[in-house]
Amino acid sequence: MSLTEQRQSVVTAALAKDALGVPSVVFFVISAAAPLMVSAGVVTTAYAATGVLAVPLAFIVLGAVLGIFSVGYVTMARYTVNAGAFYAYTSQGIGKPVGVATAWIALIAYSVLQVGLYGVIGPALEPLLTEWFGVAPPWWAIALVGWALTAILGLMRVDVNGRVLAVLLVAEITIVVVYGIANLFAPAPTGLNLDVFNPANFFVPGVGALIALCGAAFSGFEASVVFSEESKDPKRTVPMATYVALGIMTALYTLSAWLMTVPVGKDKIIDAARDQSTELLFGLAGQNIGSFAATIGSVLFVTSIFAAMIAFHNTLARYVFALGRENVLPAFFGRTSPTGSPAAGSLAQSASGLAVIVIYAVFGLDPLTQLFFVAGAFGGLGILLLLLGTSIAVLFFFAKRTDLNETAWRTRIAPAIATVLLLTVLAVAMANFDVVLGVSPDSPLRWVLPGVYVAAAVLGVVWGLVLRARRPEVYVNIGLGPEADLRRRP
Amino acid sequence: MTFPSSLFKPINWGIRLTYVAEVDHRDTRLADDLYFVVHHDRTGRMRLHPRLIDLGLAAAILGELMLAGRITVQEASGQPRLVPVDPEATGDAVTQRALDHIVAEPFHPFRVWLEFLAKTARRDVADRMAAAGLLHPPGRGLRRRWVPVDPDVAVIPTGRLNLAIQYQEPMSTQESVLLGLVVATGAAKVVLWDPGSGHIRATIASLPPPYRELIAQTTAAVGGAVLSRR
Repeated sequence: MSLTEQRQSVVTAALAKDALGVPSVVFFVISAAAPLMVSAGVVTTAYAATGVLAVPLAFIVLGAVLGIFSVGYVTMARYTVNAGAFYAYTSQGIGKPVGVATAWIALIAYSVLQVGLYGVIGPALEPLLTEWFGVAPPWWAIALVGWALTAILGLMRVDVNGRVLAVLLVAEITIVVVYGIANLFAPAPTGLNLDVFNPANFFVPGVGALIALCGAAFSGFEASVVFSEESKDPKRTVPMATYVALGIMTALYTLSAWLMTVPVGKDKIIDAARDQSTELLFGLAGQNIGSFAATIGSVLFVTSIFAAMIAFHNTLARYVFALGRENVLPAFFGRTSPTGSPAAGSLAQSASGLAVIVIYAVFGLDPLTQLFFVAGAFGGLGILLLLLGTSIAVLFFFAKRTDLNETAWRTRIAPAIATVLLLTVLAVAMANFDVVLGVSPDSPLRWVLPGVYVAAAVLGVVWGLVLRARRPEVYVNIGLGPEADLRRRP
Repeated sequence: MTFPSSLFKPINWGIRLTYVAEVDHRDTRLADDLYFVVHHDRTGRMRLHPRLIDLGLAAAILGELMLAGRITVQEASGQPRLVPVDPEATGDAVTQRALDHIVAEPFHPFRVWLEFLAKTARRDVADRMAAAGLLHPPGRGLRRRWVPVDPDVAVIPTGRLNLAIQYQEPMSTQESVLLGLVVATGAAKVVLWDPGSGHIRATIASLPPPYRELIAQTTAAVGGAVLSRR
């Protein structure tokens, strides 16, 4: 479409009215990231479970790595069909068997992250219930209620309403900032320093699990490219929104993680986190501001977890739907239900969530350290793998497509740096999974979790090759999502 | 209206339709038929998510233009486009407006037309049907539904489709396109007695290429709508 045609087009103007600007896209991206959930839940669990002091440093490091990764990512997104899913990049960049492997890893990672949230909603809501009603239900009862709500809303295709999400998000960010400032002005003797940023604290056992957790905290930032078709000026809106969202998330997480150590003292933060776990942030607020502020924060914490639960559930349901449309998963998952929701995927995800809650409840496992933390680290590792795969795909893609008019920084230099950084980050993360499971470094169990991804990758590649040999008409559509319908004529 | 067993459905429907068919020789419009299929025949309640209905009706309007020989589908630089082939007036305001847009801006890809028309399709088609005496406009107060004037007429398109599938009868192009759109929007499970019937796939596959492209584009657009986060 020429520029003249674009300027005079009534049709384009009409469609542009719904188009999103940078603030809206940033907003959608961050809302999936659930800032208060990360600050109160992930950060405290990170301090407690990994015993590593360098939590703020880890957030900055990972934020920077993701920033460099985003350069190549948003550039390739312009030429990628079904851009919202990592497996589209590896399919179209490296090859379809790798694409299938990526899809399976993504399914596992996102599922695990979603299910992990069931472990934290109990500990988050229970203190409130005790305070208000005097009841202390077991964590799995609360988790089951959350599960039921998510399952129903998912089937009804109810993403948390845009305006509700806006209010919640602004409130969460305000709380995080207010708490942070309050913490800053009530320092403990060993508190007010930047020692937690000391790299020496970084290279200690357990840092791998920490990095994986941080990977999980950032997950969702990749969703910005999904909005390219709906945004005003995709070439500018999407990259800008991605960097802004990443920047805001990094700043929020880093600052709140550091500021949590200020009133407690860097020598006591680990113990405090182990004692009070998710209540630590609100306990500090209660001390430094007042119990009203602490209560508001606690309530928003619960809504934040719930919003993240729904967001992950819907992402997963859509993933399964897109894979079903391509016939990479059974076509039954790709059927449109009258409600307009990806119903089959939604039900599948709900079923897996229920199974996990039941297993953990029956075996009496701890929801925070054994579900939330393990799931967060395991899922986060998967996210890092996906990022690495996509980064390599970006390199391959632009190596093939020399006809495209993009700068070398975007197509070669930044992706190369990102790939090296991600490899390093991943190596560190993989090295520490004994800490995640709480087993000794010699135990073979530490390789079980990373091994699941390796197995998924290998099986995925094999399945891709099988599809190429046995069902080439399906093979051709891998990575295309709903556009696959346009290739396949009835 | 529910039937105790699906065995009685074809018999009851057959009786009902025969009665109505004897008195009703009107040629129906594709978009009107689809509207009736995706709304409840008595209450006018939507059977599908509104966005899916919007896309289906937009496709139906394009289908009407194709059936009237005013537009067809052509590949241009690897993308299917709608091209006007006959400038004659269509005699109907809704399709005329759509045709005027296509004539004025033929450079848009197929999908853009679906998204654009979907913004106003439901309202436009409902207005047209109200003017033709097929629907009651919402009228007073809080009642926002467009209720069919005669449920026996509203039920005809669904009944005809189901009977044709049941008895494996060949369908006209318009009926086949209607069937294709019913499947593409996900309404098949809701309104068809036998959504898995092989006759459905065979009928759609036997459509001429422009209509098959229309169905494929609608299916993809519906998939996109399910995946969209808004």
